[in-house]
Amino acid sequence: MLFARQIFPRDQLAYGHTVKLLIAEDEVKTGKYLRRGLSEAGFVVDLAHNGLDGHHLAMTELYDLLILDVMLPDVDGWRILKSLRDAGNKVPVLFLTARDSIDDRVKGLELGADDYLVKPFAFTELLARVRALLRRGASPAAELNLSVADLKLDLVRHCAHRGGRRIHLTAKEFTLLELLVRHQGEVLPRSLIASQVWDMNFNSDTNVIDVAIRRLRVKIDGNFDLKLIQTVRGMGYLIDAPDGD
Amino acid sequence: MKRPPSLTLRLTLLFTVAAMVGLLAFGWITEYALKNHFDAEDLHELKVVAHAVEESLSLQQSSSDLAPIKQRFDDILVGHHGALLHISDATGRLIYSSPGQDLSLMPVPSSGQLPPDGIQQWSDSRHNYSVLIQQVTGKSGTGYTVIIAVITDHYLHFLDEFRRTLWIMVIGGIMVMGLMGWIAVRHGHRPLHHIVDQISRINASELNTRLDPEGVPAELTELALSFNELLQRMEEAFERISNFSADIAHELRTPVTNLMTQSQVTLSQARSMEEYREILYSNMEEYERMAQMIDDMLFLAKGDNGLHPPNAEDIDLKNEVCSLFDYYEAWAEERRVSMTLEGTAQIQGDRLMLRRALSNLLSNAIRHTPAGSAVNVQLSAAGNSVHIAVQNPGAPLPAEQIARIFDRFYRTDPSRQHSGEGAGLGLAIVKSIVKTHGGRVVATSDEIYTQFRISLPVTGRYDI
Repeated sequence: MLFARQIFPRDQLAYGHTVKLLIAEDEVKTGKYLRRGLSEAGFVVDLAHNGLDGHHLAMTELYDLLILDVMLPDVDGWRILKSLRDAGNKVPVLFLTARDSIDDRVKGLELGADDYLVKPFAFTELLARVRALLRRGASPAAELNLSVADLKLDLVRHCAHRGGRRIHLTAKEFTLLELLVRHQGEVLPRSLIASQVWDMNFNSDTNVIDVAIRRLRVKIDGNFDLKLIQTVRGMGYLIDAPDGD
Repeated sequence: MKRPPSLTLRLTLLFTVAAMVGLLAFGWITEYALKNHFDAEDLHELKVVAHAVEESLSLQQSSSDLAPIKQRFDDILVGHHGALLHISDATGRLIYSSPGQDLSLMPVPSSGQLPPDGIQQWSDSRHNYSVLIQQVTGKSGTGYTVIIAVITDHYLHFLDEFRRTLWIMVIGGIMVMGLMGWIAVRHGHRPLHHIVDQISRINASELNTRLDPEGVPAELTELALSFNELLQRMEEAFERISNFSADIAHELRTPVTNLMTQSQVTLSQARSMEEYREILYSNMEEYERMAQMIDDMLFLAKGDNGLHPPNAEDIDLKNEVCSLFDYYEAWAEERRVSMTLEGTAQIQGDRLMLRRALSNLLSNAIRHTPAGSAVNVQLSAAGNSVHIAVQNPGAPLPAEQIARIFDRFYRTDPSRQHSGEGAGLGLAIVKSIVKTHGGRVVATSDEIYTQFRISLPVTGRYDI
């Protein structure tokens, strides 16, 4: 069984420095749990409960990423974003909103928002997006090989080996495995897997992803005692070498 | 936008203008006829006198003895009251002039310019005249200029008088006609007011009220019928919305009850970490289901309100179906269901939405296909429309289920509510997406297979 610390790896290790986030959210409970979740994932988190505080913090402190609720008392998320962009601050901004209208989305993107998440959302989804935004600035080196424990992926030849033995994968299985390995140690929600691997940007009422993972698992972990692909109940899947060696 | 003038005003103005044109034409014709009549009378009078004068002059031997002929002229004029005579010979010597009148001032055109039988109008300081001028040759060859005139004052005066009266009558007539038109229009609009009364009495709880199309004038039947159709649609929409709200409440009640019971029971005594974790996982599943339902309901609500303007991209449906096959492959294989595709089709539409619709149909078909059988997708294009048929073998669905299959929250098998089949919104979403694209979807079921057939216009002609 996995515990929180394992599920959400401490990210400052991955980024080489402390990553600081600002959350502006007027819903007290939501704010509290977001802060706890992101803190446990290794981020340093400031929380503002209204637009005025959020605006002040955003304009005076240095953050790596802002998570703004659109509807805030005093100063709404859009105005905070506008002030930032007007001041030439290009910090990535992720919007949270309960209203999902195309106009809102367009407005947010026009003002320079980087991402948009509609409530209710899964925390894993938020985490995955936060990480994606943080990674965006740093251009990843064009890797040729990826590995987890004794599992090796050759990205050029599209083949996988484990313990020196070739594993035969279909094209989609390889894409799925690559996604998991690239996000080694991160829980990937099913919706993210569906959209990244199959380009299906909506939830299916089927257990398609579970079946696909199950098949991949048979091929990757079937003949090995060390199980790499792990199910995080209620959240998604991750690949990692157990105990982080 | 400027408000158009009221019907009453328009019709009243129309009446008034029509009355004005009619009355003016009538007045003009009457006046013209009168004047003609008077002119004809004058001409007759003048001609008679002219004839008599001509006769007398033609008997005149020489111009020396004028006394007898003057007498004759006096006699001629006696029978024609108001006629005047002025005769001079070629040298300009006055032969005869009616007593008390002086027509010598009247300009006499030279003989070549005389109007043939024509009457001229002339007036001096005292009177108006109709004048006939003739050249007459006497027995001795002497030429005479004969001017015969009648005073026309009396009938010119009469015509003036008549014209004035006519104007007053025309203006009065126009006003009366306008007023009558206004009254007639008001009266004529009464059925309209009646309908408005009826309509204004309808409120949301009485949408089953209908106007009686037989009870209104023929011109308004169409209006009454259209209004009834509107009511029909509104009634249906209202019913759908209220059913939908009731369904939402019902659908939410189950998971909320589960969550509350579960949490309360768990909290009622101390438990192991493992148990707490188990409860949270179980709660997670309920939450996810609820979040999914909210998502789907919002999608449908937006479709209902036309808030989903679809993109119009060129889409190769064969590619779309193939990538969906790819997506569902593992799942279908596990259920031992295979998938086949026939035909090809191109369309303009919203890729994401169409993919979602096809995905829902496909997962539905795979779920209801017995192990060892195949789901078949057929694409075809005919004229300006594209057809997508998704067929799966399986037990035939009864007609009453087919009729309700696209309804929200409808599940063919109520006992399977929570066996991963979702909230029963999948097919409703299919219908909503197809409708947004201006197409239709039909379900049929027989002994061989159940089929969902989508028909879409090829080009993006959307019904929003």
